[in-house]
Parts: sequence; structure tokens; C-alpha cells
Amino acid sequence: MSFLNLSLGELLGLAGAISAGVVALYLLDRSKRKQVVSTLRFWADAGVRTQLKHRRRIQQPWSLLLEIVSLLLLLAALAGPRLGIIGTAGRDHVLILDTSAWMGALQGALPGSGPGARQGTLLDEARDSARAYLRSLPRRDRVMLVRADALATPATAFESDFGVVQEAIRRSQPGSSALNLELALEFAQQAQRLQPERAGEIVFAGAGRVPESQADLTNLPSNLRVLMSGAPQENVGLRKIGLRRSPSAPDTWDIFVVVRNYGTKPHGVDLELQFGKSPVGAQRLQLAPGSEQQATFSYRTKVGGYLEARLNIKDAFPQDDRALIELPAEASLHIVVYSKEPQLLRPLFASNPQVDAAFEDPSKYDPAVKADVIVLDRFAPPAIPHADSIYIEPPAEGSPIPVRETKAGVRLEKWNAETPLGAGLHTQEVILESAEVFAPAPGDIVVAESSAGPLVVARAPKIEGGPKLAVLGFHPGRASMKYQLATPLLAANILKWMAPETFRSREVQAGTVGTVSIPVGKDADPSSIRVLDEDQRPLPFTLKDGALQFFSGAPGAVSVLAGDRETVYSLTLPDVAEAVWRPPANVRRGIPRAAELESPPQDLWPWLAALGGLGLLIDWLLFGRSRLFRLRPGRSAPLPSRFRQRKAS
Amino acid sequence: MVEPLIDTPMLEKLERLTIQWQKSHPGLVGGHNISRFAGAGQEFLDHRNFTHGDDLRAVNWRAYLRLEKLFLKMFQLEPRIPVRVLLDISQSMSTGATSKFDYTRKLAAALCYVGLVRLDAICLQPFSAKLHDSFIASGGRHRFQPAVNFLSALKSGGQTGFLAAARAFLARYPQPGLVLVISDFLDDEDCEKPLQYLADFGHELMLLHVWADEDREPPWDGELELEDAETGEHIELAFDAEARARYTAEFDAYAGELERVALRNSGRYVGLSSSAPLEQAVFGSLVRQGVFE
Repeated sequence: MSFLNLSLGELLGLAGAISAGVVALYLLDRSKRKQVVSTLRFWADAGVRTQLKHRRRIQQPWSLLLEIVSLLLLLAALAGPRLGIIGTAGRDHVLILDTSAWMGALQGALPGSGPGARQGTLLDEARDSARAYLRSLPRRDRVMLVRADALATPATAFESDFGVVQEAIRRSQPGSSALNLELALEFAQQAQRLQPERAGEIVFAGAGRVPESQADLTNLPSNLRVLMSGAPQENVGLRKIGLRRSPSAPDTWDIFVVVRNYGTKPHGVDLELQFGKSPVGAQRLQLAPGSEQQATFSYRTKVGGYLEARLNIKDAFPQDDRALIELPAEASLHIVVYSKEPQLLRPLFASNPQVDAAFEDPSKYDPAVKADVIVLDRFAPPAIPHADSIYIEPPAEGSPIPVRETKAGVRLEKWNAETPLGAGLHTQEVILESAEVFAPAPGDIVVAESSAGPLVVARAPKIEGGPKLAVLGFHPGRASMKYQLATPLLAANILKWMAPETFRSREVQAGTVGTVSIPVGKDADPSSIRVLDEDQRPLPFTLKDGALQFFSGAPGAVSVLAGDRETVYSLTLPDVAEAVWRPPANVRRGIPRAAELESPPQDLWPWLAALGGLGLLIDWLLFGRSRLFRLRPGRSAPLPSRFRQRKAS
Repeated sequence: MVEPLIDTPMLEKLERLTIQWQKSHPGLVGGHNISRFAGAGQEFLDHRNFTHGDDLRAVNWRAYLRLEKLFLKMFQLEPRIPVRVLLDISQSMSTGATSKFDYTRKLAAALCYVGLVRLDAICLQPFSAKLHDSFIASGGRHRFQPAVNFLSALKSGGQTGFLAAARAFLARYPQPGLVLVISDFLDDEDCEKPLQYLADFGHELMLLHVWADEDREPPWDGELELEDAETGEHIELAFDAEARARYTAEFDAYAGELERVALRNSGRYVGLSSSAPLEQAVFGSLVRQGVFE
């Protein structure tokens, strides 16, 4: 017999307090009530008088005893005592349902379905096992359903209503990430520790496909039971796809595809790539069991579109046989150069494939010309251009930055490499035949200096989105600067400063959902790194040992911006773990048999409650004020004589 | 200003009523005997000198033509049947959840107002074991407030002594008339004898028996220690449903005796519970029993 949370001492204390209360109430109820009345004349024949000396005595001891016993029985009923083996009462089980991506693998026709019925998935089989386990449990047990993939997510609390758990099982769907069994088991153990009820079993229902690191998981809870589902399945799938601009040809994409054989037999598969429904390439891959193979392709295009990778194979898990990646179009910068000597500037601007340069005579100058950057070679425009502009040796009267003086034989002494415009620039012993020395305003960026003053100055816009400005006090295509390595780098730096989006290097990676790790270098500045999801909302990330890590539990695209580099992760491939977990031999398996279920303890509270209620009813009938069967004291002393006289009259 | 015992809507309804009597008394209906004074009667009484402010309609113009002096004709008012209200203010009237004393005062105020509206005079006579100071309400409805003030100033107390009160009443008011007794009639001595005295001296009895609900049907159960509100005497007894039934039967039998006394002497008896609304009592029981018309 158990009294739930009440120890024997607590129970006796509570019973004593209630008994004392009952006795007090009894004495109060049975004590005489004082009442002032208008007259005593009519009470003569109505009441039965009692003796005053009986006031302090218990006049109906059997009534008191009956009430105390009845209330103690009701108290015991409230405590919920049970007759039987205590150990089988009220256990808390945690049912871990494998909802990893692999659970979407086809398993064969569903049991009980007719010929031609659709194939069931591994999750269908796991659902059936979970339901069978629920049916085997006693009704007083409670079950918590935990959906396990890369995360362990409780779908229900500890529920004694198995209908709720059944519904949660029915609503479970395969996810996109791999199973983290270790995390799920740890979660289940913690959940059981937090509950006051005695811990029941931790039941795992699923295929158990886990990462290599968990294949030999041995640190298992002692109360673990596994309901393994699914025979070993053959599967070949896309593991990863990467695309980056070719370093040698910026309009060419280098594409590499990783394919893995998850099965136990060697497979030969055809890998096909299509871009905008047009074939890009195809390769035949021979894959040994458990091996990966990388195929490389190259494709030249400037336009954007969708690249599709497809494996021509029929296996149990078709979700990883196809992947689709969106390729961004190659951006180009449109420049208009106003110069009377365009041949001097053509090597600087027309040689870059990302720059689309047009050369015009200064007489055709249009301040509203459609261009990203306007270059003005020794020319002062009548109206300030609307776009970003580069002035080369502007006339002193038309220079946007005042010219302090024009000198001959100026020595270029310093490049300010700490600014983005002067990054990587270096020259030795350069004497400029003629150069303008500027008088920069506060906030202007000085890129190059001589002993006489600044020679190259840039000005950032004062308002957001305004035009940027760079002024060169010497001509980069003439005389001493013509053959300097710093000259094209200076032009590239200026253009990159003016249009950073155009020159940002882009990579596209297609991978599996879950945790993504990217090497960024140990000295990466966290403030310069942004990780954005498809809706441009920031995702949390960590930097550890030179690697950036973030987690995405659902398919989608994630952009990682680090400096001038942008990597787009198209996390559309389901994460299929490499190994299958084999539970040790001592772990319980399968649905528990009916014989294993111990006989349920018998509830005593209905009997105790009925006895208590019956006792109170008997007390009310025998001793209550509305009693049907009266047990009352005898008659008392006679009334005053005047009442008797009146009655006689 | 004293709180009104009866609200205005109730007063408006009371204006439709008249106090009724059954016995044949000489004189007009209701009112105190003030016929010793001249008034608007039919029978010529005397002449007196005209004084400023007298009614010119009563001037004897013939005498003026003869004597060139103004004389006023005086007429004799016919005697009226006195209406007296005997009001029980003993201590027993203040017991109970709903005060019988308050109920009694409201009932007396209602009777008084009905009389004033009919230009009658009502004598309010409080009593316990003796007669206390009385109040005569007359002169029309605008004299109702002094009556209310008198009733509101009454305090309950003392033992009930019907016999002594009846003797004092007969000595103070020898002229027979209508006597309305408003009381719980809970006297340790017998009430039948003093009521019979009143009837024997020619008074018409109207007994308004007011009781609290616990006077008729005590709600208590179990062991009781009872104290008489007037005498302070104690008794102890066990009380239950059967005893309650016997008690109520005793009470009803006593009320029956009171009714028989009233009917035997051509009077009327009305039993009223203090928990019943006053309007229901006046327009229900009192009209039905012929106290009001």
C-alpha cells in the first residue's frame, strides 16, 4: 500500500489534526446554543429539557467515533493507496522517434496494404513500432514523445493520455538533418530526472543512421529499449556541390560535385549537370561501398540561372539524388571615359573583364550619362557628374578639390596603404614630370603624397548614396607612371572602392542542412562577418579555431559575408548520416510482451471513499438533526408551574 | 428631521383607504370627541361678537340690520367616535430577526395617516405594563409629521402587562370607541381577560397580532438555552423538527384564542408576520379583514 507523497509520520500527523478538528466541531455542534426569545410560554410542550451538568460531556460518543473513522477513511482515499507491487505504478517513459532525413527512405509496401499500394517509409514503420509500444503500456504510465534529428525536440510533455501521444506520432515527419542519437538520449535522461515519478524506459524507435562519430555509441542508459526499423538500404546520393568563379577566367564557373555511396554494394552512377535545361556536363562515377567521389566541371556563363545536378539512379532515398543551385549573374561596371587621348587609359580600364568601358571625346560630355563611374581626363566639366567620378589632372580652376600648386619634378614619396584605396600600392624612386598638389578638406582620403603635399585624394560622399570622387594629380598613363605596377592596382582600388558589390568574389556551395563549418582564418574579425538567411535576417554563428560555424535546421540559402568575399550556402540536400548504429546486445529490443507487464496494482480509494461516505450517512441518519432514527437523551426536569397551569387551562 | 416611517408612494396609496368599524356608536365616524367646541355643524349653538378674520358667511346679517352690530353664528359639532391605537412597546417587541417594534410603528403610522386624510383624530397610546404618554393626531394630512416624530421617538422596553394597561386605559378613556391593539400579545399572564374588559366597557376591538417568524416557527435545532427577553428567565431544552411542529401548533392555538376573543365581542383579528411587506399587510390582510375599506 502506498500513500503517494505522504510518509507515515505525515499521514498520522494529518489524521491527528483532522481528528482534533472533528472533535472540536463535534463539541461545538453539540454545545447548547444561547438564544433570546420573546417568551418562553410556547416552549413548554415543544422542547425536551436537558440538565446543565451534561454540557461538557460528550453526549453521543458513537456519533463522534463514527465521524472520525469516516473522515479518516476519506482522508486515506484522498491519499490514493494502492494494493500491489509499488514498482509498476506510474512510470515515465520517453519515446524517442527518429525523424532524421533518412527516415524518409522508402521501405516497401505498408503492412496490411493491398497489392499496388504505395511504398511506406522508414518513418511509417517507426510510427507503427511506437504505437505498438504505447499499446503495451499500462494506462497509468506516462509517455513523452521526443522527435530526434540533429536536435531533440519534445513533441509532448509526459502524457497519461496516450491519444495525445498517438496524435503527435501521427504528425511527425522526416526532417532534413541527420540523427544526433547521443543528444536525444541525453535529453531523455534529463527529462526523466526532472520528473518525480519513477523513471520508466527510454525507447528509441527509428533506423538509427548516425554520423560516424556515433556509430559505436556505448555510453547508453540502462533503461534503453530500441525498436529498430528498416533493413539496410542501398543509397547513392549527392553529398556536396561547390561553385566558384575560375581564378583564370572570371566568367567561368568551376563546379565540383561530391557523390557518396551509403550502401554496402558498389554502384556505378551517371552524374548529369544542367544549367537552364541545357546540359553542362555528365560523368560516370564508380563508387565503392561507403566511399565518396568528387567530379569536377567547368562552365562559362555570365548570366544567372539554376544549375541542376542529378544522379540517374533508383535507390531507397531519392531526396538526395537531385540538387538545384541558383547561380548569380556576373556583375560588370559600366565606365565612361572622357579623354582626348583614350589610348593612354584604355589599358587601365578596358583590360578588366568586369569593367565595361566606353571612351568619349570631352566635347560629348553629358553630366547625366548612364554610367557607374565617369573618368574625366584633364578636363573640367561644365556640370558636376551625377555618378561616381575620377578626375585625372583636372584644370586648377575646375578641380573639385582645390589645387594648391602645380610642380614639375615631383617625387612620389608615400602611398597610404592603410586606406582601402592605397592597399597594396608601392613604388620606388618615382619622379613625376608634372603633378598637381591638392589642398584636401578635412575628411578627404589622401592616397598618395609627395613632399609638397597630397597627389591623389579621394572624397567619400557626405550623404548616404551620394557620388564618390577621386582626383589624381598626375596622369597614370603617361611618362614615369606608365609602367609602374602600382598604376593598374591604383585604378582597380579606386573602382573597387567605388563599386565594391561588383568586385566581390562569390562562391556558391550546396550542402546538407545542419551544422556548417567554414574556414575563415584565425585572425578573422567577427565584426566584419555577417551570416544571413534567405530573408536577410542574421543567423547566430561562432568563431572557433579559425572556423566559422552556424546551424541551419531547415533547408534554405545562407549567405556568409566576410570582407570582400561572399559565400552562398544552398542548404538543400538532406543530411544522410554515414553510419548505422548497432545497439549493444544487452539493450532490450522490440515491443515488451504482455507477460512482461506486471499485474497492475489495485486502487483502494473507491472502497475507502465509499466506506467513509457510508459512515457519514449512518451518522447523519442516527444522530443528525434531520435524523430518521432518533437516538436522543431522556426527558429532563419539568417546566415552571405557570406554564403547566396555562396548559391546563 | 426624523426619517419617514412610510415612503411617499405608500402614503399616496393609503389615501384611498378609510378606517372601518362594526359597532353602532352615536356620532360621526372616527375621530376624537372634540364636539364640545363649536365648529362646522348643523345645529345652532350660540352667537358671539364678530372679530377680525372670522368667516363672513357665518355673520348674522339680520341681527346686523336690526342692531348695526356684527354677530357671528356658532354651530355645534356632532360628537365623533374616538379611535385609539394601543401600541405595545414592551421588550419582547424588539426580539427577532425582523423587529416587530419597527413593524408596529409603521403600522401605527399607516393607521394614523388614513385617519388624518379623513380629517379624523387618532389617539396613539403606547403601553407595556402601564400606559405611557399618548399623542393625538388630528387636523389633516399636513399634521402627519408630528405623529411620525412621536412614533420614531418611542423606545421599546419593560415587561408586557395587559391587565394593568387595560385597567389604566379604561380609567383614562371612559368613552367607548374603536380600539386597535397592535401587539405580539406575548404576556406571561393571560391576555384574554384584559381584552374582555375592554370589550365589556363598550370598546370595539381590532386586534393586530404581529409576530416575528421565529416567534411562530423557531429555526434552531439541538440543545438550546433560551432566555426570556422580558423576564430574563432561562430554560434549557432539546429542540428538533417534532418539537418545532408542536411549538407552532401551540402558537397557532394561542392566536386562535385571541381571534375568538375578538370575534366573540364583535371585533376583528388580523395576524401579521413582521417579515411580510407593510404594503402587503395593509392592502391584503387589513383590507380583507375589514379594518380598512
